[in-house]
Amino acid sequence: MDDAHASDRALVDAALANRPGAFERLVREHQGLCWHIIQRMVRNPEDTRELCQDTFLRVHQCLHQYRGESALKSWIGRVAYTIALRHLQHKRIPLAEAHEDDGAPLVETVADDFDLESAWADAETTQQLHRAIEALPPLQRTVLTLYYLEENTIPEIAHITGLASGTIKSHLFRSRLRLREALETRTGVAA
Amino acid sequence: MNHDLPPFDDPAREREWQVQERARDAERRGLDPTADDARVRRYRLLARALREPMPGALPADFARRMAAQVAAAPSRRQVAGTRFESTLASALVVMLLVAGGVVLAYYGNAWLPAFRGLLPSSGTPATGWLLALGGCLGASWLLGLWQRHAHGSTA
Repeated sequence: MDDAHASDRALVDAALANRPGAFERLVREHQGLCWHIIQRMVRNPEDTRELCQDTFLRVHQCLHQYRGESALKSWIGRVAYTIALRHLQHKRIPLAEAHEDDGAPLVETVADDFDLESAWADAETTQQLHRAIEALPPLQRTVLTLYYLEENTIPEIAHITGLASGTIKSHLFRSRLRLREALETRTGVAA
Repeated sequence: MNHDLPPFDDPAREREWQVQERARDAERRGLDPTADDARVRRYRLLARALREPMPGALPADFARRMAAQVAAAPSRRQVAGTRFESTLASALVVMLLVAGGVVLAYYGNAWLPAFRGLLPSSGTPATGWLLALGGCLGASWLLGLWQRHAHGSTA
């Protein structure tokens, strides 16, 4: 962890000193993260490209404010998230559902005849799953992507989104439960 | 990493959460799914879909183009320096005008008769033409000054 922070600090110092190639390396190392966050939020590749550009311009303007208290990827992720959030607000797209249902009873027992590999090989099942992911609100889609694809921890996601860790845990729990239900509707295997 | 999080109040929800986490961990480590229970296998399918690379990406030369773009723009320090110089110049002009006003207020009465003596007698046509010429020269000088300032601030 200390090595990672030291490496982040060295890269930021090099970029601030305008050393050749430093800012390019910083962009190359974090452009995937920005794409994942912004594309999951806005779902439009053209807008995403433009907002990624805005993100790195903002990062360049504010790089002197990076104090090294968090990982550089979380700090840049926060800039990308804020820019995508403003875009959604401008377009009046809600970030999360206004009413989240917490009172639904949980189905803990499910039929055992579910084969992971054959379900994965079934194109219709995976397509339905991807459609269900796309149907989630922007915040939940983004939180899932950060947790699974970027392998961020819950505190890191909390830092990026500016939400409490407990709220991130709730979003993860509810969206995964919702996706499991969508899967069971498709395969019809709920007990 | 996430062990510090408090558990859900509802034990059933906490059990479900643990199943979700176990499935994520098993998928990350590529463990054999045959030993998993039915719910873990379902959540592993979700994990697999969520870990798939997203379609589309930024252009291959995006980082190089961003670096060139920020290198072409003036740095924050340069912008701050220009702004400081401009503020300082404005402050000096204001100070000069104030000092001029003060000097005029103190010594104006003593200087005025001497200037009156230099001017041609009022009421002659030559005086009017001289004042008009002076006004034109002054207006054109001020206009040139303003244009240079406007051009400099947008460059």
